[in-house]
Amino acid sequence: MSSGEVVVTPAQLLGFTVLGLAVLIHIIFVSITLGVGLITAVYRWLAYKRSDGELELFARKAFRLMIVTELFSGVWGTIITVVLVGFFPGLVALATNVLFTPITIAIVSIMIRIPSIAIFWYTWGKISERAHSTIGFIMALSGFGVPLGFRTLFSELSYPHTISVFLAGNTPPLWYAYTSPLYWSLYAHTVFAVISTGGFVIASIMVLENNVRWVEIGLKYGILFLLAQLIAGPLYYLTIYSRSTYIFNNITFGPYAPLFALKLILVLLLLILSLYSWFSVRRRKTIIGYTKYLGPIALLIVFLGEFINNAPRYPYIAVLGESGVPISAFFNFYMDIPASLVYVILGFLIFSIIVFTFAAYLALIRGFIVEKIES
Amino acid sequence: MAESLGVEYLLALSAIGIYFHAIFVSITLGFPLAIMALLFAYSRTGASEYMRAARILTYVLAVNFALGAITGTLVEFGLVQVWPGTIAAIASFFFAPLALELIAFANEIAFLILFIVTLGRVRPMISILILGVYWVFAVYSGLLITTVNSWMNVPWGVATIPGALYPFLPEYGPLAVDAQKLVALKILLLASGLPLQEIIQTPEASNVVGIILNDPYIAFYSLYAWVSVAHNIVAALIVGLSIALLGFSYRLYKSKDVKYAQIIRVFYPILLILILIQPTIIGHYMGVNVAYYNPVKFAMMEGAYTTYHNPIIGFLAYGDPNHPIIGFDRFYASCREQTITLGELANSLGLTRENLLEISNNLGIKLDTQRLDNVLSTKVSDVCIGDLKSVEPKIRAVNIAYYTKIFGGVIAFISAILLAGVMYRIPLVSSISRRLVNIIGRGDYAKSIFILTILIALGVALAAVLGWYVREVGRKPWTIYGLIYPSEVVTVVDYARTLEFTIFASAIIIAINVAGIYAMYIVASRHAVFTQLLERFLSGRR
Repeated sequence: MSSGEVVVTPAQLLGFTVLGLAVLIHIIFVSITLGVGLITAVYRWLAYKRSDGELELFARKAFRLMIVTELFSGVWGTIITVVLVGFFPGLVALATNVLFTPITIAIVSIMIRIPSIAIFWYTWGKISERAHSTIGFIMALSGFGVPLGFRTLFSELSYPHTISVFLAGNTPPLWYAYTSPLYWSLYAHTVFAVISTGGFVIASIMVLENNVRWVEIGLKYGILFLLAQLIAGPLYYLTIYSRSTYIFNNITFGPYAPLFALKLILVLLLLILSLYSWFSVRRRKTIIGYTKYLGPIALLIVFLGEFINNAPRYPYIAVLGESGVPISAFFNFYMDIPASLVYVILGFLIFSIIVFTFAAYLALIRGFIVEKIES
Repeated sequence: MAESLGVEYLLALSAIGIYFHAIFVSITLGFPLAIMALLFAYSRTGASEYMRAARILTYVLAVNFALGAITGTLVEFGLVQVWPGTIAAIASFFFAPLALELIAFANEIAFLILFIVTLGRVRPMISILILGVYWVFAVYSGLLITTVNSWMNVPWGVATIPGALYPFLPEYGPLAVDAQKLVALKILLLASGLPLQEIIQTPEASNVVGIILNDPYIAFYSLYAWVSVAHNIVAALIVGLSIALLGFSYRLYKSKDVKYAQIIRVFYPILLILILIQPTIIGHYMGVNVAYYNPVKFAMMEGAYTTYHNPIIGFLAYGDPNHPIIGFDRFYASCREQTITLGELANSLGLTRENLLEISNNLGIKLDTQRLDNVLSTKVSDVCIGDLKSVEPKIRAVNIAYYTKIFGGVIAFISAILLAGVMYRIPLVSSISRRLVNIIGRGDYAKSIFILTILIALGVALAAVLGWYVREVGRKPWTIYGLIYPSEVVTVVDYARTLEFTIFASAIIIAINVAGIYAMYIVASRHAVFTQLLERFLSGRR
């Protein structure tokens, strides 16, 4: 079926849009927290091993980002789940069957990740440094288990490796999703992106502290994994080219080509600015003013990247080569979803974003969460 | 009934997840009341111990919230992951409550973060206001989730459909569903032996089935749901406040520092009022609703293998001391009065054998026509009697659990009044309390309070744990009362239904939650030591 023949009703478009919005917001938050979590854990441990108080203070200051953002980030994961089940029940029913193993991995990772963040923060100074560092690594590594599971769904929607086995009337093996030719390049692209973004966000926040050493740490991770993206990004692009023609055409020659070009320009800009900033802190021990914008630029790239990773599937929910499975195939026809309800919910979610942003501003910019442990 | 292999394992797994979630939800709901009371006392007196106590409870609340969120996620994902048949219900009956719950969850977190960030930085009354808004959203969340659970106990909007199979069941509200489609799906499940997931995961299945629910807000119209909301939320508040009470009374007992008694005095009245109204008012209405809407559950609670008279229970449950406690004998007799077959029942709704085959074909279900004929010729009375027989072995356990829960509630109720008599000057009560306390604690004030709070906590825990057991086990043999069996909503993934998977998942859930609870204990009980490294660095900087 060509995309021109696919009919998308307003309700289906609303479902697709709300899902896309929730995914984008969630991805922006987790791009901050996964990288920041890893860098914090590493430096908390290094502080302990090297008896370096400054590194411990760095870790604690950086971790404020996690304490403020992680739970709110998790909310958007829940929102994605409810939107998926509510608007696309058939897709969830299918995913919980053929992707049972990856989804289990993601759930277990979430279960370890979220409490370990709160435990890491609130036990700081109350347990031994060694035990605390161990909790830090558990916290950091469990975060990467979440995309290890959930990215299989994104991969399947772009190239239905496992789903096609099911649609052919067979039962795919438990780990089959991990043999997808698209999956691992997507996962690598994701992991490098979040660590790089985490580094740049830390660099931006540490500019406010005016500490050259701390900015340098953020830049180091940001640049290192941005360079790694120069391999992972093209590799993912090539797998999209070979496995998901419809998406490839949409982002290379179709309506999403300008956004893709913009993303590439921003990546180049980020690389140049961050290298210049890096040389400045390394050689001159001075922080260039624009360094504080590196985090926002990195987040904008993440936003664009995720948008052009998902939106070009439209009007399909899953792509099959040059066409796909229309949104209607998995849409909820069990009842008429009241659009007014969806708009009310979106209104309140925007309100929660405003409250959260205010809290984050107080915590991170105004320094309401202090690095000193209060007993 | 569909193949039920592994269903019992997964029911146990779900129970573990739900019980852990219940602990954290109780703290999530109960602690803010204590924190607000302490902040209010601080704003009135300026005594620093109130602020310090509020801070400790806030830190515990923060760790607890993370655990509550992940166990909530587990329960939610668990629902769609191991019970994917419920996806059809989530996409219809539960859509409005769960979608509205997103409002509650997102704002709950936003305001909790704002509260934590601003505590001590803004005036106490502003902190109370922020936490108050958080608490309202937390209660709203509890309301919505309880509405979903209540619908599974009393499926409002299906009217007389369950009663067609089980004549002893009442009418569940107005008819808001397409009865023909629901019955067709039920017969297809029985005839195919497949879980619902096999049907709804097929592309276009939803389109083929079409509209099954006409009123998306139907779950909110049930009286049973609203009584359950009050019952569950008050129970959670009581458990949460009891945990805070136990913590401070333990500190009082160990340190003999009277400041802890002052802290308890600040929030104890809230707990006392809730403990007094829960069994006498809310619990009573809950019982009345269970007796009417869940007659089989009520018979199990009362151990009514056969119908009997008990004027007290008759009066409390039915408002008439002469009303009998209806037992399983009456249910069986009622089943036997049904003379029609499932096929005739389907026919009465305009569903023929050919219709069913056509629907099955459209849904891509390979149906054995011989098996379909067997199902259609099955007597309704056989289904009804078979289901009753399947729950009969559970009567004793539910009956014991129910009366142990009542016993726990009574212990908590009496202990709460005695503690009030010790903490405040109440005519008559205080003199009785102090005499008893002299016996219990041998004149040791702190020890007496600690013992009474242990009794409250134990009584409350018994009532909460067993109350939920009765609610859920009493719902069996159905997942959705009178309509759907657990085996019909279970996952199709074979290894998920194995004992090994249950052990693996249980071990992870228990390990994470026990570690989390231990961390909460450390946060609450240890003084923070500003690490030497950090201290050295900061001194150097100064």
